[in-house]
Amino acid sequence: MHHAYIDKFAYQDSPVHRLDSRVKFLIVLIFTVMVISLPRTSLSILACYAVGPFAVLVLGGIPLKFVFKQILLVSPFVLILAMSCPLYDKTPATIAFGPFLERTTLGWLRCFAILGKFIVTMMALIALVSTTRFNDLLVGLQKLGLPKLLIMQLGFLYRYIFVLIDRAHHILQARAGRRMRNLGFKTELKIAASMLGSLLTRSIDTAEHINVAMQARGFNGNWNTLSKLQIRRSDCIFILTSACFLLSLYFFVGPALR
Amino acid sequence: MIIMPKAIEIVNFSYKYPDGTVALRDITISVEHGQKVALIGPNGAGKSTLLLAMAGFAKGTGKVLVDGLLVKRKNLKKIRTLLGSCLENPDDQLFMPILFDDVAFGPLNMNLEAEQVKTHVTSALQTVGLVEMADKAPHNLSAGQKRAAAIATVLSMTPKIITLDEPDGSLDPRNRNNIIKLLRSLPQTLIIATCSMFFAAALADRAVLIDNGHIIADGDIRKIMSDLELMTKHGLEVPENI
Repeated sequence: MHHAYIDKFAYQDSPVHRLDSRVKFLIVLIFTVMVISLPRTSLSILACYAVGPFAVLVLGGIPLKFVFKQILLVSPFVLILAMSCPLYDKTPATIAFGPFLERTTLGWLRCFAILGKFIVTMMALIALVSTTRFNDLLVGLQKLGLPKLLIMQLGFLYRYIFVLIDRAHHILQARAGRRMRNLGFKTELKIAASMLGSLLTRSIDTAEHINVAMQARGFNGNWNTLSKLQIRRSDCIFILTSACFLLSLYFFVGPALR
Repeated sequence: MIIMPKAIEIVNFSYKYPDGTVALRDITISVEHGQKVALIGPNGAGKSTLLLAMAGFAKGTGKVLVDGLLVKRKNLKKIRTLLGSCLENPDDQLFMPILFDDVAFGPLNMNLEAEQVKTHVTSALQTVGLVEMADKAPHNLSAGQKRAAAIATVLSMTPKIITLDEPDGSLDPRNRNNIIKLLRSLPQTLIIATCSMFFAAALADRAVLIDNGHIIADGDIRKIMSDLELMTKHGLEVPENI
């Protein structure tokens, strides 16, 4: 398997990587809520917020090229949403860049706000998953009180998404190997449906086998793992730094720039 | 005189799939503790189903006993600590995000203390030579490592009996030889279902030939495998190592 894993830098070692997953998750959650709740005219404040995840990414040794690639990968969905804003909201608005005033519409402001918030929150999310092993994240989420069933499903999703991608890739390769001509839209659609069906059948098969493997090892519905998490001094320093950063943005920098 | 129960004892066991296809017919077989038995036969002969029946996953008619315990709902918990099942596809066996947790899954379900679980996991990983991979995700392991890891998930439960379904599937010669070496070194009773006659001959001292749900032959592996007519009749071949 040669997939570009979303967490391929999570196995590195850095001060950020060594932080407790619960601490990182909670700070990213608070950060995301604060960014999302910013008014749409606060583009310059957004840039200040971006400093936080940027610093974590740099400290964690995560290549920025990788970060931008990941953002680009999921951007089409947000781009569609953002680009539709100027089409339906044409209310005139004025935006100030220092001494310069620019006339625009509320739709465009909303568009830039969506894109800006998306980039900043994605940076924070990538900083979280690139500096935290997925398993530690799951243990952290379980410790934070998320239902065990949900944790189990997330664990399976992470474990089997790559197997599923591999299978889909093999099916596509088998199809490409015998595709001599274009069979027309209807036939191609039929073939695609049967390919999806085959993937689904194999997934159900896999699920049954996993169930057998779990029961054979004594699974009785309780999801047990050995917890390895511990809040250390470095976590307290990170909490303190993040709190200072977020509070100063909220109470001082934000109002000053508005 | 104390009579030790047999590792596996199956008496007149038959099994039908839900669609009515008969997978196993009137199977009677017993395996002593410490034996290494190869279940050989062509594809679809019923080897995997027989392994599933031993672990209580295929419920048919007749009797299946594991270490003297009748395979029935009430005894399943105990039976599954006595008998470890290794499935055909290691991707089905390794379902946790990291190898350590996968190997710890069984011991944790046995309600062992955290320290005991760690000892079991480390010991199992040491046996299969994967201690350094403990923190890796299963999708980062090679095919050979996945096979070894799948065996570790069972070893950590310290079972008396281990069943393995095609443990040599899609392995290159080096990895296959590593698995043979590993399985040979295990003191447990091994029951291995395989289509590879070379693998079976290298590992087991007894063979049970199954075809179309019937036991065709049961005995010394060399004797059975050197019978060219018997082997050819049931779609098998005489391996080079016989």
